[in-house]
Amino acid sequence: MDTSEDLTESSLLVVVLDVGLSRATTLRNDPALAGQVLEAVIAFSNAHMMMRLKNLLALVACDTETTEWIYPESKADMSDLRQQDGQHELFNELERTVRRKIAQLLKRSAGSNSKGESMLSGALGRALCYVHRMQQEERQLNARVLVVTANGQSVSQYMNFMNVFFTAQKQNVLIDVCCLGPESSLLQQGCDITGGQYFRPPQPQGLLQYLLWVFLPEPLLRNKLALPPRVKVDYRAACFCHRELVDIGFVCSVCLSIVCKFSPICTTCHTLFKTPGTLPIKPKRKKAKLV
Amino acid sequence: MAAEDDGKEYRWETGYEKTWEAIKEDDDGLLDGSVAEIIQKAKRKRMLERKSNARLGMMRHIFVVIDLSECMADQDLKPTRQICTIKLLNAFIEEFFDQNPISQMGIIVMKNKRAEKVSDLTGTAKKHIKALHQVESMPCGGEPSLQNALEMAMRSLKMLPSHASREILIILGSLTTCDPGDINQTINELKEHVIQCSLISLAGEVHICKALAKATGGQFGVVLDDAHFKDLLLLHVEPPPAAAKLEPALIKMGFPHHVTGAVGQSKDAPMLAICMCHLDVPSECKLSAGGYFCPQCNSKYCELPVECKACGLTLASAPHLARSYHHLFPVAPFAELPFNAGDKNDPCYSCQRSYSASKDKNIYKCGRCLQIFCVDCDIFVHETLHMCPGCASHPSTTSQLK
Repeated sequence: MDTSEDLTESSLLVVVLDVGLSRATTLRNDPALAGQVLEAVIAFSNAHMMMRLKNLLALVACDTETTEWIYPESKADMSDLRQQDGQHELFNELERTVRRKIAQLLKRSAGSNSKGESMLSGALGRALCYVHRMQQEERQLNARVLVVTANGQSVSQYMNFMNVFFTAQKQNVLIDVCCLGPESSLLQQGCDITGGQYFRPPQPQGLLQYLLWVFLPEPLLRNKLALPPRVKVDYRAACFCHRELVDIGFVCSVCLSIVCKFSPICTTCHTLFKTPGTLPIKPKRKKAKLV
Repeated sequence: MAAEDDGKEYRWETGYEKTWEAIKEDDDGLLDGSVAEIIQKAKRKRMLERKSNARLGMMRHIFVVIDLSECMADQDLKPTRQICTIKLLNAFIEEFFDQNPISQMGIIVMKNKRAEKVSDLTGTAKKHIKALHQVESMPCGGEPSLQNALEMAMRSLKMLPSHASREILIILGSLTTCDPGDINQTINELKEHVIQCSLISLAGEVHICKALAKATGGQFGVVLDDAHFKDLLLLHVEPPPAAAKLEPALIKMGFPHHVTGAVGQSKDAPMLAICMCHLDVPSECKLSAGGYFCPQCNSKYCELPVECKACGLTLASAPHLARSYHHLFPVAPFAELPFNAGDKNDPCYSCQRSYSASKDKNIYKCGRCLQIFCVDCDIFVHETLHMCPGCASHPSTTSQLK
């Protein structure tokens, strides 16, 4: 490998941590697990920083109420930085910042008892803005995003998620997902679109091991490793009326919303359609092909 | 003439402008800062002009007409007009299909007073890129014929169903056109069929070009240099507002799921077959078991989106439709606020950059979630992300539909 290139290249990892984790059903039975997840993420972040001198890290957290920027802090207090227990100062600072801010976030959201979805798309949006800024500041920067979440079923944020995925694809940013909850087809699509790795650890207790195994290697190295195979992604569309997956549906030509049965009025944009009498226009198009 | 037409004066008829006064040196005597500011202002202005909730022609059918007359060999655009055009069109096609995945495009070239179709209306970018590659090596010659090209495009476009938005984009290097008949009649016919014609002239403003664009509701532009040429081209990536005559319709569409080829493992496993999309190009035919199967007639395709050749059903996947949603639900423009260095300000909400008095003259505030953004994020959010990170961070403002 070319060593000179090695020194100039840096890789940015943005970890998006969904701390709405503790509310997910798989983790509710075992409250200690949420703590373990945090430990694992911090250790994994340190491991990423250790890989190369110029590696960068950022961490965004989200829960059902809000998203919070955790690391790096814009006005970090570096004055009382000193070694403790032989740990590298930077790692120490990272760990303390993350713990302090996550605790703040949890305290704030402890009062509210909303059962909604995590604001994952907002956190991803902030992550991509940060990547955009860093890409402008730094010449050679490989960036990727790792999402650690337990609830990825976010139907109401579908459009936001899709915008995030397409933006990431344009920016050349991989989105990796470590899913601790039930399978999420939306996040699977995101991984497939951006070329990232989707993985659902069979045993959340061993999270750190899985993180180091699957998500630590850089994208360039990944095809040389034996990683979990790509999941098969279902790209079928869900109709807007019943949220069911459809094979053949009707699409409104004005707003592109999908319905499973013909209806004379579009529910999204309130356009009036002519009765099915106009539908047999279809053969005309075939004629156009022949001409 | 233009003054009579739309009340706008020509540049040389307007009052005396001191254009150099807009550019000011910063503290270090550099101009970069103020030039960047002018560019940003122009970008924001374009953003504000965009109306939300306008009805757009989403299913676009566009013919790109390329002039290949002898004028295209001129070297005022580097290296030549022809090569520069092809290069920019390559980028345009990629971007066009990225933003309008269920739309279709065709390419026509004009040379020696004839029009020649180099690629028919299809929805796959690859075919057009390949066709453009051929065009690049074609010799330029003769005069173009605007009328012949328009007629040819119209013959294909007028057959389309009434919900389809029809456009012609002409890139013209010549100042003349050699037509067999009365072009005004053709323009009237185009108007009748609601075909929007836009022109980009590489040479200069010609009356008939402007009249054509104006009559059919298109845009007309003359390029200043290659950067401006690119800007003019990329304007056409955004879907145009739907013409009033466009009839809305519900279109039947198929959403096939991908079947991976594992031969002979079970009874349901697909047999080895050749896909329908490459039937006519024997050299690229690949025998495989996997692919996308039309849910109506079970024909096999190796790529989406595509129109089924057997039953005419449009086949697409959900992300293809999702790619176009941002045109319909754009992020509302942020309010511009002056930045005071004295105030205690949090860093930019999304990129965490602290504001500095030298770089940030203004900061931007989202009207819904009231978060503050820097200028880079403002542009990034509106041009690329199409989602406000602040609004997406709160349950009350998450949904864009309301």
